[in-house]
Amino acid sequence: MVDLESQIRQWKTHVYSTGSIGQNDLEELESHLRDSMDELAGRGLSTEEAFLLAVRRMGDIEVIHEEFSKISTEDLWRQLLVPTDNPITARRNRKELGIVIGLAILGGLLSKVPALFGFGDMDAHSQLYLRNASIFAFFPVAIYLIWKRSLPALRSLAVLSIFPASAMLVNAYPSYEPHHTGLLLSLHLPIVLLFVLLYFFGGPAIKREGQHLYATGWRNPNTRLNFVRFVGESFIYAILIGMGGMVLILLTAGTFDLIKIDAFPFITAWIAPLGFFGLFVVAAYLVLQKKNLIESIAPVLARIFTPLFLLVLISLIIAFLVTPNQAYENRNMLIWFDVILALVLALTLYSMSSKDFTSTNTSAKSQITFWDFLSFGLIISAVIVDAIALSGISMRLSAYGFSANRTAALGENLILLVNLLLLCVGYVRYFLQKQTFQEIVVMQMRFLSVYGIWATCVVVVFPLLFGFR
Amino acid sequence: MNIPKDLVAASATPIILSILHGEDSYGYAIIRKVQDISDSQIAWTDGMLYPVLHRLETAGFIDSYWKKSDNGRRRKYYHITAAGIDECELLVSQWEVVHRALHKLLQEKTGY
Repeated sequence: MVDLESQIRQWKTHVYSTGSIGQNDLEELESHLRDSMDELAGRGLSTEEAFLLAVRRMGDIEVIHEEFSKISTEDLWRQLLVPTDNPITARRNRKELGIVIGLAILGGLLSKVPALFGFGDMDAHSQLYLRNASIFAFFPVAIYLIWKRSLPALRSLAVLSIFPASAMLVNAYPSYEPHHTGLLLSLHLPIVLLFVLLYFFGGPAIKREGQHLYATGWRNPNTRLNFVRFVGESFIYAILIGMGGMVLILLTAGTFDLIKIDAFPFITAWIAPLGFFGLFVVAAYLVLQKKNLIESIAPVLARIFTPLFLLVLISLIIAFLVTPNQAYENRNMLIWFDVILALVLALTLYSMSSKDFTSTNTSAKSQITFWDFLSFGLIISAVIVDAIALSGISMRLSAYGFSANRTAALGENLILLVNLLLLCVGYVRYFLQKQTFQEIVVMQMRFLSVYGIWATCVVVVFPLLFGFR
Repeated sequence: MNIPKDLVAASATPIILSILHGEDSYGYAIIRKVQDISDSQIAWTDGMLYPVLHRLETAGFIDSYWKKSDNGRRRKYYHITAAGIDECELLVSQWEVVHRALHKLLQEKTGY
């Protein structure tokens, strides 16, 4: 008897080798093929006949490949900006491009609002700009997402009002020397606003029949995972475009300098803020337009940086073992520990979102790879570093009492520790095949809410608690 | 009777969106449904459905998610978005215009 599985594998290899059909598409096609074979076999065909007919029904792979490649990475930029031949999508694409450009300008103009109140000088009022920066940057993205997802207007407006509300809050709160709560607020407001964006990204959670409320809209773990990827990729796009923009600005300024015109005042007053605050909505647009391109970059980045960060963490642990006192006495060292831990968590989320755990074979269990062990190693070392940081913080707390910064650091490290330990448990169970990777993802995505709530606390409650200092 | 390629291509989007407007579905079931409702007159090559679904997803008319079926097979389900519903209604009303026009011509001819 002919081995059916190996025939299917051959067919898959053939399909995959055409290049434009990705892992996920391949699994979808395979599932289709098997459904088709089941039906044919049910009508009395032998398995081999069923296989042959199902493959035939699937059609010419070359033609399918051609269709896929039209929407795939090739000619990416041309497709992005030149209208496609379908008039309906073309109309929508043109409209979308117009909206994005309009919103980008809106972001830049928003950043000029403080100037209306006499706070035009960015250097003199850097605190004020820092506090409001995430509002200027994310507000246009929120509007864009509402349009893109055609969300219900009333509900969206209600949630969107968080933006003006937080603008009022951060500007109504005074900030006294040494501005610690003010700075904490500036650092945590973006996290709060990212959750608002998540809401618009996923849409409201609506109770559907047979589905739990947590499975729909912005509460759905897979939607959250997609959002994590969306944020990560928008960030990469934003950096790329930003660097290009800086080169352009320098070139322009240099050229004007040659003809004895000082363009810098105009650039710093208009071009830079317009460019910077418009950047985010443009990046979001590019990511949503072309999911496919970056989907292949994300795993590569995760793989490059996971081993590198593991090395960083291990060297941190060694450094601590060599000179333990430094970590306790030098507060800057603790701050760097926290920055690195935050980056590690971001990297873990990112590699989670790029892991192709959906494309496991229907027959085989999800495969545990070398990279899973590497991620696990990263998480374990992060737990150790976090424990060191926590012990340092508690020592400083007992020595100097509660300050805004130390309380914030304590809270964050505790949440992080719980999160990392949960991840450890998840990975161990996954290695023992007691749970699937999907369950780790669900846990992690639900846990994200804790960060949102904590960030909201730091923004709203901390300044009150610590007398705005 | 063979439906010409252009007509198949033009009708694919409204048909798919209308099916998904009814309920979430996956590729294989969509193909079978189309065969059913057209008495096998509309026969798509199975594989060609997927690029179309991709394009609709990129345009934001549908979302997708993976779900395990009863027999343990993982399937990619598609779900229509609010923008997709708008698009579907627009396309269907366009087809209705054509349909009504043809129908009127037929009535004139048969003298009904």
